[in-house]
This record gives sequence, C-alpha cells and structure tokens, in this order.
Amino acid sequence: MAQAETLSHSGICVHDLKEAQEFYCGVLGAEMKGAVNFYTEDTLNGRSVHQAYALGDYLFAVALAPDFMPMPPKDQLRGAMGVRHAFTVAKARFDQMIESLTRAEVPFEGPVDHPENGPFGQSVYFKDPSGNFLEILWRRDEDVTYAPIPDLDVG
Amino acid sequence: MALNGAFSHLTIEVTDLDKSEAFYLDVIGLDLLGRDLVAEDRPTSLLAMNTRQRVLLVEVPEVPPYPASGGSIHHAWLLTVKQFAKARDRLEALGYEPAIDPRQSFRAVGEFNMDIHDPDGHRFQIQAFGDEGTEILGSGAGTVACGKIGEFAPGSVTRIAKGRFFLVRNADGFLALSAWCTHKNGITTWQKESWHYYCPFHGAKFDANGVYKGDMGCQPLRLNPVSIDDDGTVLVDTGRFFAREGYSPSQAVPARPGAVFQCGGLRELTVSLERPVSKARE
Ligand code: FES
Repeated sequence: MAQAETLSHSGICVHDLKEAQEFYCGVLGAEMKGAVNFYTEDTLNGRSVHQAYALGDYLFAVALAPDFMPMPPKDQLRGAMGVRHAFTVAKARFDQMIESLTRAEVPFEGPVDHPENGPFGQSVYFKDPSGNFLEILWRRDEDVTYAPIPDLDVG
Repeated sequence: MALNGAFSHLTIEVTDLDKSEAFYLDVIGLDLLGRDLVAEDRPTSLLAMNTRQRVLLVEVPEVPPYPASGGSIHHAWLLTVKQFAKARDRLEALGYEPAIDPRQSFRAVGEFNMDIHDPDGHRFQIQAFGDEGTEILGSGAGTVACGKIGEFAPGSVTRIAKGRFFLVRNADGFLALSAWCTHKNGITTWQKESWHYYCPFHGAKFDANGVYKGDMGCQPLRLNPVSIDDDGTVLVDTGRFFAREGYSPSQAVPARPGAVFQCGGLRELTVSLERPVSKARE
C-alpha cells in the first residue's frame, strides 16, 4: 500500500497567460478555476500572475515566467524538459482525441505502442505553446478499480 | 475538444535511476510496479500511488536545470492527514529538513504543507487537508464594542481585526461578517476598489453583504450577531456564528439604539475550535 494518494496539482510556467488559457481551456477543454495572487501587493492591485485550470481531475497552477524560460526545439514534440504530464482517455475515445488534435492543428508525435506487459496502451505526445510537454494515452488497466481520486477544488 | 479524461502519470527525468527510485519508494512512499514497462528508449521505472496515478522515472544523461524564473514550478502530492504525519516522521528520520513551508503565512487553517526536492532538484509539495478547514473557529474576543453608530457611514465596511470580522453598514443597518472564508478557513480581506471580500488562499470572492460569487459552491460569510446598546454603541458577539443561504435585509440590525440581531430562520453554528487573534494582528 503506497503512502501517497495522488498528485493533485502542478505549478507550471508559461510565457503568455492568455495564450496558455486559449490552449488549455480552448483546445484541451480545461476549466478555468480562477486567478490567485499570493502576494498582498498583487492582490490589492487586482493583478493576476497566477491562474488555475482543471484539466480532467488535475489542477494546473499556471504562473507567468518573470523572465526568460528555455524552450525545446520547435520540431521536438516528444520530450520532457524535466517533467511531462500524461492524461488518460478511454481506449474507445483515443482516436477521437487524435482527430481533435489534428483539427486544432496541434502537432503531435505518435501514436506510440507501449509494451504489452505494462499498464499503458498507446500514447501521443505534444506540447503547450510555452514548450511544456504533454501526453495523452489510453491504458490497459482502464477497467481496474483503484482508490478514488479525492475531490479537490484547491490549489 | 473536451479531454474527458483524467490524470494518468507524471514523467520525471532523473540522472540516476537507482537513486531516484529509492527516493520515491522510501521517502515519498510510492509502490514499485517495475522497470521498463513503457515505450521509452531509455531505462524507466514505473511507480504507483493508491489511486490510478503513476510516476514514471526516465533515466537521462542530464536533467535541465530549473530556470531561475521557474520558482513556481512544482508538483504537489496529496496525502491524508495521517499519511502526512507519517511522511514528516519518515523525512525527519532520513535526515531531511522538510518542515519549512515557504508560503506558511498564505495557508488556510488546516492546510499542511512541506516542500522537498528529489535527487535531481525537482521540487515537490507534500500537502494534506485536515478537518480544521471546516471547523467553526472562535476568536476568543467575546463581545467587541466597535464604536458609536455615527462612526460608521452608510455603505462602509470596517475590518475589526480584534474579533476577526467586518462591520458592514448597508442601507438596512449593521451586519457583522466573520472574516473566515467558508471555503476552507482562509482569511478574507475587503477590497474596496472591487467592492468584494477576497480570499487569497484559493481565490474565493464574496459581495459586500458576504454572499459568495463564483462556482466553488461556497456558503456566504457567516454572521456574528450585532446589537446596539442604549447609548448607540455597536456591539458584536464574536462567540456566536450563524449560517445563511444568502442575504436578506432582516439579517441587518437597524441603526438605532436598542436594536438587536434577529436570528429567525438562520442556523446557529457551534464554535468547535478556538483560534485567538494574536496581539500582533489586532
Ligand atoms: S480558503 Fe479557499 S478560497 Fe478561502
């Protein structure tokens, strides 16, 4: 029995909050959860440098990079710049997801087949406009019942 | 396109698979599913949480250093309160010093946090939410005399730090709104320029009468009963709390000597935990 239930959220940096919102909410269908300021001065000025989007059951706390952030090469679609977030969809919907990415003109790599002795089925790899790598996959264990993800509406 | 999916796993680049695997097993407390179960052209280790979520470690020659501007980059483990206490002991026993939470003063009551870095410098937050987030918190200030009626102009909102409430004078009279956020016991602030109360913890907003505006489904800010004595002094009983569904004028106490709070139809809540206001904050 593991000693951790879930990862609940990640803080990521982007170059452009509006562009990030259009990608996560507009293209991937994430839900905007609001803008939070940690610093009173920002709060008092009504300034937001931190937005939150719920993508599926995961929360991204998105902050504006205050200065230069390295970008992966433009044509690299599969990678990790340290980390990569992967989201699972039902196997029956996987092709539909690929179609949607194509329609939204999001370049991707894949689908890539995973070994049959592991829990993953097939993945496609892409990135957000700021170069954060993402993955969508279907899983062979989609019918297994695991401990439920705690409902969390906080970042 | 709606993803209609769920979070599956976090891929983490590491430079020493054995060392990092040991970290995620022994320090974070994940379960090992196995090595090289995923299509990657480098060695991998797949680790499990109790839910469907997984962590995939991929060994690479070099992990890009976190950019100086990437201070907000982190990932948060959500633990139960029990697991959190165990994790703290485990980390201390292993010689980590994780107890410093850089944002402690921004946390809501009952939110527990530790920060820890993995062997390659990936920053993780370890987080748990205790019952305190939903307790009714007393200030220990008893009945607070706020001042005479005339000191509060119609339309004004005055923060009374000593009793942790806002004294509102609206067109109907006086209201005392508890400053504890009904989401998870953060402390709200009055933002006059936006005409709302704002909770910096997770961004809840409440209108001038304390009614929640947004989609997190929060209750309105709770009421402390107001009374006005025969001399016209406005008194607020900070030891009693009333829940309400929305605002109605009957919740306000008319601005005249001898007026008292009418609790008809409102649900009284019992103070379940004392959180005295520190002298420095008064
Ligand atoms: S405690 Fe969560 S918004 Fe106030």
